[in-house]
Amino acid sequence: MAHTTSQDPLLTWPKKYNEIPKAVFEMEELWPKELETIFYGEEWHPIVHRAEIPNPGDYKAAELGEMPIFAVHGEDGVIRVFQNTCTHRGTSLITESSGNKKELECPYHRWLFNLQGDLVGCPNSRDYSPSFDKKDFGLAKLRVEEFCGLFFVTMSDKTPPLKEYLGESFYEPLSRVLGGDGRLKLIGYQKVMYDCNWKAYCDNDGYHAPLLHKAFALLNWQGGKGVQNVSENGHLSFESELKIPDDITALEDGSILDFKGTETSTGSIVQMQFPVTVYSKHMDMLNIRYAFPKGPKGIEVHYAYFSHEDDDEEMVAHRIRQSSNLLGPCGLISMEDASVFSRIDKGNKTPGNAIFQKGVEDEHVLSFTVKQNDESGNLPRWEHYRKRMGFERSES
Amino acid sequence: MSTVSSEIISQIEQLNREYISALDSLDMTAWLNCFNKKGQYNFISEENHRRNLPIAFMLDDCYKRLQDRVTQVVDIQADSTEHYQTRHFTQLMSVEALDNGQYQAEFNYSIYYTRRDSNQTQILCVGRYMDVIEIAENAVNFIKRKAVTDTNVLPRYIAYPV
Repeated sequence: MAHTTSQDPLLTWPKKYNEIPKAVFEMEELWPKELETIFYGEEWHPIVHRAEIPNPGDYKAAELGEMPIFAVHGEDGVIRVFQNTCTHRGTSLITESSGNKKELECPYHRWLFNLQGDLVGCPNSRDYSPSFDKKDFGLAKLRVEEFCGLFFVTMSDKTPPLKEYLGESFYEPLSRVLGGDGRLKLIGYQKVMYDCNWKAYCDNDGYHAPLLHKAFALLNWQGGKGVQNVSENGHLSFESELKIPDDITALEDGSILDFKGTETSTGSIVQMQFPVTVYSKHMDMLNIRYAFPKGPKGIEVHYAYFSHEDDDEEMVAHRIRQSSNLLGPCGLISMEDASVFSRIDKGNKTPGNAIFQKGVEDEHVLSFTVKQNDESGNLPRWEHYRKRMGFERSES
Repeated sequence: MSTVSSEIISQIEQLNREYISALDSLDMTAWLNCFNKKGQYNFISEENHRRNLPIAFMLDDCYKRLQDRVTQVVDIQADSTEHYQTRHFTQLMSVEALDNGQYQAEFNYSIYYTRRDSNQTQILCVGRYMDVIEIAENAVNFIKRKAVTDTNVLPRYIAYPV
């Protein structure tokens, strides 16, 4: 990767903080460096909530960057995350997106691992190399931390502890997205491929919401008061009051927009965790959007929806019909975002910079004070990205 | 299908043709007319269906929701969607008689879409329709059409029912 040294930068960054080179969405050469410095670097990535694998033996496959991994619920109740590869010759062990196994067997030479990742069987091992020791061949385990039942991984030993990494202004609202105490039940997924670079997917802002989303206007749905909290390491947390009108004339069945609420569920929360994860709680929808970039082009998004263990049947049914119809790749509210992702991608195959305006008081200063409907809340994220990638700002 | 007459099968196939023709011409009123007042529509991944996870891509569990689906396509999202042309291909796999003039049917489907910007054609999704159809004196309608898609990861956002 000699070409990514500072002597020969892939990209020079504009001087002004509100300008982002459009090439950053289009240059395929950035991807190996992004893998190294971001996806395999000092960042935490959410992989699974306990509610998705509630029983011993339950597993879920995922990817970190280009690396296949899986989370499994051990016999001892501990959730671990392993590289999805046999420690012998590298064959992948998990081939389904989810399931339940008593043990993990590689079909190639029948190496057998227990759910805790220990190698417990390997045929004809007396003929192995002199230094072979079973204990050295357990599955490769990733560093894991948990918050409200959500398990995060990082490839680096240097990544700060999870709560420090997220910061209180991020993890406090996140706890409310996760039902307050993390006692969630999985109610299903919506999975989709979006036709854009991963950075376009997570560059959604506070400015667009009332403008793009015609649904808001048509439903006479006024945005309440709200705040955006941004952190130096690129996390962004929106919180706003919900103001849903009593009478929704545009729809025959307004109950789809009912906000029943619970103790921990007051407003509307949208959070974007660097690099690619979105969490949201709109009305009664509890949603984690796991995202998996497929190289420099295309991002696969898994919207996971949850109910709470304390919900009665009526509340669960309400969460199901609301989540199924309002969010995701077909949702009344969020489908428009999906449309913009691919249009951003097409439009950015043009020269120059994308220039942020709303909320920018001084182009030469990075501000962390952001109002609800500003787009400047994305700029600390871009600054974090720039630093991770080692791009120098131009002098003029 | 031995217990169901060829006339009934023909009526069910005709209803299905009206349904896919409505969608391929994006005539949402004609789509709505394929359902009666008991009508429900559900578009769900095979993964969720198999695992008894109820989240769907579209979940219209009453006639008013079907009407709102029409509103969503025609009024709400019309200007932000990148329009695409669909072509639905279906094959009737089974029909069984239930009580009260109702029939349970299953069709396989594959849906192609052609983007207006690139004019290239790709597969939108593949799966099966699990239907309950009511045949009354003057009407043949879906009471339930559940589109279970094998395409667990959709290749793009989907703006119209399938």
